[in-house]
Amino acid sequence: MAIPKEAYRELEGVVGKEFISDDPAMLDCYRYPLSHTAIHIGPYYRVYTPRGAAVLLPGSVEDVQGIVKVCNKYKVKFKPSSTFWSAWGFPLEDDTIQLDMRRMDKILKIDDKNNYAIVEPHVIGATLQAEAMKLGLNTHIHGPGASCSCLASATALAGFGPSSAYMGQHSENILGVEWVMPDGEILRVGSAGSGLDWFCCDGPGPSLKGLVRGMNGSEGAMGVFTKCALKLYPWPGPDHLPVEGRPPAYKAVLPDQLRSYTLGFPSWKAWADSCYLVWETGIGYVAHRQFSMFGRDLKGAMVKILSDPTKTLGDIEELVKDPEIQKMTEDMKRDYQIVLAGMTPRDIEWQDKALDKILEITGGWKVKGMLDPDLYNWSLLYMLRLGHKNLNLVYGGGYDGCFGLGGSPDFGTSGEPARVEQAAAFKADWEKKGNIVAAGGDAMMGGIGGFGGGGHAMWENFTHFDPADKASTEGTLEFFNATTKYGREMGFGPGMEKMNDYARWTDGYSTPKEIRNRLLGGGPQPEAFRYHRKFKEAFNPNDLGDGYYRALDDTDG
Amino acid sequence: VALEDYKVDMERCSQCSYCKWIPFDQVKSWRFAKGCPSIAYSNFLGYSARGRYAVALSLLNGQSSYSDRVVDIVYKCTTCGSCDVSDKICRYNLEPLEMIHELKFRLVEDGQVLPEHTAIVEHLRKENNMMAEPAASRGDWAKGLDVKRVPGEKAAVLFHAGCRYSYDKELREKARAAVAILKNAGVDIGIMGENESCCGGRAYDMGYKEEFTRLAENTIKAWTAAGIKTVVTPCADCFHTFSRLYPKLGAKFEILHTVQYYDRLIKEGKLKFSKKVPMKVTYHDPCHLGRRGEPYVPWEGKEKKVKNQIVVYEPKKPRYNGAWGVYDPPRDVLKSIPGVELVEMERIKEYAWCCGAGGGTRETYPDFSNWTATERIEEAKSTGAEAIVSACPWCERNFIDAIKAAGEKMKVLDITDLVKQAI
Repeated sequence: MAIPKEAYRELEGVVGKEFISDDPAMLDCYRYPLSHTAIHIGPYYRVYTPRGAAVLLPGSVEDVQGIVKVCNKYKVKFKPSSTFWSAWGFPLEDDTIQLDMRRMDKILKIDDKNNYAIVEPHVIGATLQAEAMKLGLNTHIHGPGASCSCLASATALAGFGPSSAYMGQHSENILGVEWVMPDGEILRVGSAGSGLDWFCCDGPGPSLKGLVRGMNGSEGAMGVFTKCALKLYPWPGPDHLPVEGRPPAYKAVLPDQLRSYTLGFPSWKAWADSCYLVWETGIGYVAHRQFSMFGRDLKGAMVKILSDPTKTLGDIEELVKDPEIQKMTEDMKRDYQIVLAGMTPRDIEWQDKALDKILEITGGWKVKGMLDPDLYNWSLLYMLRLGHKNLNLVYGGGYDGCFGLGGSPDFGTSGEPARVEQAAAFKADWEKKGNIVAAGGDAMMGGIGGFGGGGHAMWENFTHFDPADKASTEGTLEFFNATTKYGREMGFGPGMEKMNDYARWTDGYSTPKEIRNRLLGGGPQPEAFRYHRKFKEAFNPNDLGDGYYRALDDTDG
Repeated sequence: VALEDYKVDMERCSQCSYCKWIPFDQVKSWRFAKGCPSIAYSNFLGYSARGRYAVALSLLNGQSSYSDRVVDIVYKCTTCGSCDVSDKICRYNLEPLEMIHELKFRLVEDGQVLPEHTAIVEHLRKENNMMAEPAASRGDWAKGLDVKRVPGEKAAVLFHAGCRYSYDKELREKARAAVAILKNAGVDIGIMGENESCCGGRAYDMGYKEEFTRLAENTIKAWTAAGIKTVVTPCADCFHTFSRLYPKLGAKFEILHTVQYYDRLIKEGKLKFSKKVPMKVTYHDPCHLGRRGEPYVPWEGKEKKVKNQIVVYEPKKPRYNGAWGVYDPPRDVLKSIPGVELVEMERIKEYAWCCGAGGGTRETYPDFSNWTATERIEEAKSTGAEAIVSACPWCERNFIDAIKAAGEKMKVLDITDLVKQAI
């Protein structure tokens, strides 16, 4: 134990002996392998995030406040995490106190008159959605899927996801926050801060939503969020998802008011045009380029495997040779999935007609193979619950997204050939080296609408590898390094494969200051990061967070 | 196979957290969404499959050593296999339950054992049962029962009562009833009485692989000598052991659980019901009959990669993820009993919540075991059922004790109880 014994004893006094551990093996459970998933820095073979000094399980906001106050007293860094998805939730320095928020897991309220829920940190998308559906409501489930904390994405990160065009990203859905600030004081932001209900994050009351989370969130580096209120949306389906079938190929037969299609397009221009038309028309309860994550050449075979409980990856080579599957795969080359939700029978008929009109205008089609009842009902459930999101790991156990084209749909689809094709061809060349899965170059997955109302499309080109294989992991790193260089040369900008370089470095620890300053200072808006520094000085005087908070010294950069 | 063989699994585990929950598609409420009793009770990440992967890797890499906490993490697992089902929703190349078994085996090999387990296993070695009772009284449950005694007499089907039914005086009537039901339906059935011994399955789940192997080899030898072809058992633990573990040692017997046999007899018209049993019941899937009760498929092969880095197996490897467990026969039997109304809990079949009696936890962590059972009783109560019905004496014992401790009134029944009432 590297923190002072008195500090440990005081922390133990806050949560009780049962809820603190500094056992080395237990602390190793709270480390993240950087030879892995969505780190957006590596991957680095057999490199782990630093071992914490102790892990605590607070059970209340008072517990959290007590912990933070002890940390301030002894100047010990702390790092909270709710569901520990990806490296963001893990320390950047040795001797950090880790807060596992899992005991704070209550849905405190669902207000079905005013359409919002108040949740604690360990409430996940699946449970909130299940409870909301009972009341005719639904929640946006953000990109990492139903396993992840709703609060974390809403307060500390962006919270994009397949339903963002209809339900917003979680940063838009936040209606109030309870924040244990880095100095241990508790602040309720928005109307809740004035003792009112949790209906607005901008007041009446402290209107500090921008400070608390800004665009991208403070990424677990500025205090601890202990409650938040999230906007809910109408759900025209049954009070629970009627799931059938054998695992892992679960399916749901839902009322006709819910329809799921995979749309295909003859060109990327047509693909982009359809996005604009979908947004303009206001249809699309869920819209996402989802199954493309398995790769242009493999996605047809993969959806067959995943929707059939008797199939495994061992069937993939045979299935990709099947002419019927080859046809479907070709139909899905430039695709995305869309779920329509009609609030009335008349509404769904209108939406479907509108979609047909969009397809007529763009020359697109509903992929016939995906209308097979098994695939249809599997896909519908998949897109609504997002309970299979970690299938991005199914091939070898590791994946990360690269390129990360974001912006208007034209950003990725313009150019000759289209930028997405340039990126796909670049990856396809690297696939020939054997270290990453030969998926056909284009494994670009992302939202048709990153924000409420649409207007923004996002893609990351999934790259699958084996984190237990040194050559595969190091080959993937080499590919990502080349991708970054290529993206800059081609004017695409830095890809998401290096998105977190500014915070965590190759050894798993904080990025060296001079590199961090170069990365943050060399970006397009360094003044924002200097402004962050002022926030940090005011709210986090003992600097007990970590480098995920994007702050830049006045004199740096 | 050794713990080291699972090192690639440990490095491929992506910390997705699926192992802690039931499959997300199946989540119907906040209250009953959890899948792994171990982390639901203990909360620290270490008490999940993901945590146990990390602990094993930490030990293998020499980053940590045995401690009270490590021992607690490893043994406070009911080996219910919930993690195995949920993990395999997205991961087709991880075997968390197999790894957890190997981790337990390693701790036993290294002498990192719990005193409660040591006492049980010492007795098991001497008396061949898990119940701290003398071997000589194993056949007492069948005293006065008109049934053939194997090997002295020949029978087409051997009824294996198992340790719990043989010695638990409150429950043994169910075993007697099962024999009578089968016999009256025309089955040529026999028992081994005091010559029966423990199947070894619970020793296996506690980490005592050698002890399991000794018991299994003895049983296989005894059955072979007696000319046994078909074995029926009312115990889910025994069913799993015979059908999934014994074939690895070369056993080739037909293994049936009593509910499968009842179901077969009902569908053949050989078991008929004449009385109404007006009762609203809910059915608890025992882990060893449900998700761990899938048929054994022999496989010997190795990992290979296709499309550069897709991990597959040569030849194709069977996937055990609960898809093909014994779920329909017990339900079909219940539905065929006049008057019985079956209402389902939220967590059923492959994603059923464990009773809390497995993996040696009942004997070593009574609070945890009781809490796990109580959680299930709460779920059963939420259906409005007056009885929780199961097909395993270990589940039933744990439920009876939990209900008693909580002062609850719910009845705990075996399917045999209802079949008996309806005849």
